[in-house]
Amino acid sequence: MFINKSMTVNVIKITEDKTLAQAKKKMTLHGEIRHLPVVDAANTLIGIITDRDIRSALPSDRNVCAPEIKAASEKLKVKDIMTKNVVVITSEGTIQDALLLTQKYKVGALPVVDGKKGLVGIISTRDLLRAFINVLGIKEPGTLLCLIVEDEFGIMKKITDAIYEEKISTGSILVARYWEKNKRAVFPYLLTQQVTNIKKRFQSLGFQLLDPMDWSLEPDTK
Amino acid sequence: MKKTGFLYDKRYLQHLTGAYHPETSERLTAILKGIQEADFYSSIINIEAKPADIETIETVHTKEYIKRFKQACLNHESIFECPDNQICSDSYDIALLAVGGVLTAADMIMEGRLNNAFCAIRPPGHHAEIDRGMGFCYFNNVAIAAKHLQRKWNIKKVGIIDIDVHHGNGTEHIFEKDPSVFYYSIHEHPSFAYPGTGRDFDIGNDAGAGFTKNSPVLPGRGIEEYKKLFMQDCIPEFEKFKPEVIITSTGFDAHEDDEMSRIQLSTKGFSWLAKQIVNLADTYCQSRLLSVLEGGYSIKRLPELARNHIKILLNS
Repeated sequence: MFINKSMTVNVIKITEDKTLAQAKKKMTLHGEIRHLPVVDAANTLIGIITDRDIRSALPSDRNVCAPEIKAASEKLKVKDIMTKNVVVITSEGTIQDALLLTQKYKVGALPVVDGKKGLVGIISTRDLLRAFINVLGIKEPGTLLCLIVEDEFGIMKKITDAIYEEKISTGSILVARYWEKNKRAVFPYLLTQQVTNIKKRFQSLGFQLLDPMDWSLEPDTK
Repeated sequence: MKKTGFLYDKRYLQHLTGAYHPETSERLTAILKGIQEADFYSSIINIEAKPADIETIETVHTKEYIKRFKQACLNHESIFECPDNQICSDSYDIALLAVGGVLTAADMIMEGRLNNAFCAIRPPGHHAEIDRGMGFCYFNNVAIAAKHLQRKWNIKKVGIIDIDVHHGNGTEHIFEKDPSVFYYSIHEHPSFAYPGTGRDFDIGNDAGAGFTKNSPVLPGRGIEEYKKLFMQDCIPEFEKFKPEVIITSTGFDAHEDDEMSRIQLSTKGFSWLAKQIVNLADTYCQSRLLSVLEGGYSIKRLPELARNHIKILLNS
């Protein structure tokens, strides 16, 4: 899965000579934008500014009155506070690359650049979530089950055969590998509300159906 | 012409992986055949394998892991820890013999008896983690060789170049915090290929940050992308790092006739890569280059790939 299908192509961007007031206005004007890539005249990425950067740069003390904040936001320039060392991804990056990058560097969006750092898009955590919502198929109505199964050959075949035999469409099947020793948790998202029979079938195959109240994936310790 | 060693031992054929497994003894038979048919065959120096001692293996792997692997073989188990790792009762001993052969080659290079060497060994090693075998690998031959060069020969800086089409997760993780070993890998992009690691933003950690470099390549891109990335990512890093010895994880599985990848390198592409690596070794390492077989599964192509590889090592 490449990011170019999920990224925003019409990027709202800004130049470094603009004031924070202008940057803030730009973010507000275009809805819920939190990241503004900063480009030069040739559309080369030279920085990024976030709504958080702007908030941090302006006086926030309760005693400071609105005109003072306004004055500061009109005085400070984007170039004064922008992050210059931007975490970027190329348009040939994958969704997996983007997920790992955003986790590693704790950023909310990645400007997408071509080989010469020309800005061609932006992919935010919201875009990534949307991509995963599509993959998981959860926009369609369905029922999520959780099976605890032995980590052994042929298990997935048994699960998919059972779903097939019950004539149920599948939205997605998620497998959590490291559930507990020698076990896997399998989450079939089934596009039906009639899951009574399939549940019984799974149980007759010896699979443990987990109570939804007991579902929680282990946190990543890394 | 350089003094080039060739490590092969027929006992390497005794590591049996069962039916339908790509990492077979026929791979080595094909490589041996390709080299025996070469006009330079009489010029290469044979290296004799002997088993590595456990203490050396423990420089990389945990005692518990080594014991588990040994026990699995003693128990005549056919799978070790994951379905990819098909073993037989001899696998442990043969894995020790693979490491031992590589260490002998390393010693011969350091003693000046060889300039470089190609080690046709199995099982391969670069996926093997400190405490986990995976991807047909049990002992990380290359990582153990790097540690050996540092311990026995007081080498300060080892450069590892991994051209197997799969990222060498084991090698990277073993050295990710170690600034004395630079790990460079060019491989099929982890979103499309096993083992799913080796992204371009993985650069090492802590003191080792900046001493790992990965060049993931998208499927089908072939030699032009390899050339571009190798020149852009590997050469400048090795110029900066100036290794004293280069070890290569030599996998031939990026070849267009290899079913294990979709990278589409030609035989000529592999020769180009080998030449670049030999040039680096000539420039920074007094030609000291230890080339260790990893993957490569096209029985049809392995003879010519290994033959060309050694020919370039010989500089003939």
